[in-house]
Amino acid sequence: MTTDDDAALLEELRAVWTTYDPPPPGLTQTMIAAVAAADLDAEWEMLVLVRDSAHEPLAQVRGLATARMLWFTAAEGWSMEAEVDGDQVRGQVLDLDGDMGTVEVTVETADGRSWTTGVDEVGFFAITAEPTGSVRFTVRIGPTSSSSRWVEL
Amino acid sequence: MGTMVTMSEDRRAEGQSDQSPWDMASGAFIAWRAGDASAVDELVAAMTPVLWHVVRAYGHDRQSAEDVIQATWLGFVRLHQTIEDPQAVASWLITSARRGAAAHARTARRAAPVEDETLHAVLPDAESAEAIAQRDDEAARLWGAVASVDERCRKLLRVVAFMDRPDYQSLSQELDMPVGSIGPTRARCLAKVRSALMGGGAR
Repeated sequence: MTTDDDAALLEELRAVWTTYDPPPPGLTQTMIAAVAAADLDAEWEMLVLVRDSAHEPLAQVRGLATARMLWFTAAEGWSMEAEVDGDQVRGQVLDLDGDMGTVEVTVETADGRSWTTGVDEVGFFAITAEPTGSVRFTVRIGPTSSSSRWVEL
Repeated sequence: MGTMVTMSEDRRAEGQSDQSPWDMASGAFIAWRAGDASAVDELVAAMTPVLWHVVRAYGHDRQSAEDVIQATWLGFVRLHQTIEDPQAVASWLITSARRGAAAHARTARRAAPVEDETLHAVLPDAESAEAIAQRDDEAARLWGAVASVDERCRKLLRVVAFMDRPDYQSLSQELDMPVGSIGPTRARCLAKVRSALMGGGAR
């Protein structure tokens, strides 16, 4: 038997299973609702960009033209400042209760590269990276993580 | 069929029934990632029926199958950022569902050992088979033929039939078969279905 015949038979079998053991009537709707609910939870945890130096011309006048400052807040109440200056990404995680030893900050570029570091006891971090194009920050605190949206540099 | 659909306009304009669920899935996923929030519904609608067949191939009852599928979608929401190739979203989902189904089967077996024969009886749905048999004789013959082959074959065929690009490497682990034997086994299982069809008396 040729592989074409096999493919044709498999296709017929697919039709047979579709006919004889179809998914329960509401299954797709149930899953759409589950994804919508989970997705909302995920957004709730996101790091929200609240201030961006690119939108503040005054900062450039003051000589910060090469550095980009970004301020994020997380729903849990803590926040993060990040400064992107050439290949240096520095910042601080603020107002976070708990063990700084479990906190990790990741900078990710849209082409799939990422750099991760821990923070010191007051939340400072410094990463040497190649942040170009769009970047995204993820802060991992123990088992939970919060990611920002992509920020165009 | 083979045309690349990346723009959401194209995706909607195209008669969706012409597209395979896998193509619809990657089109919707790409649109969703690009910011079209409603596209995730289309992705779920395209892939949930496929996941159903994949998970049912593992012999789960309908409620367990639903649980495994829901866990697959929740995992997708959590991990979709790790999917590097958007074209591969269907494969990613199917693989995840297969792993969930296999893991569920292991824990279920630990909890309550199930005899092979019980599993055997679970799979072919004899009642609906007969109901539909009267309407569609050809499909009924094929269904009968599938029901007559061994469980291992039926599982392999059903999973492969609903896979986009069969990934023999991971299949071999879950089905506990050497990688090299999946292709030949698939061919042998199809041959069994054919000979059951020829034999007429499928059962």
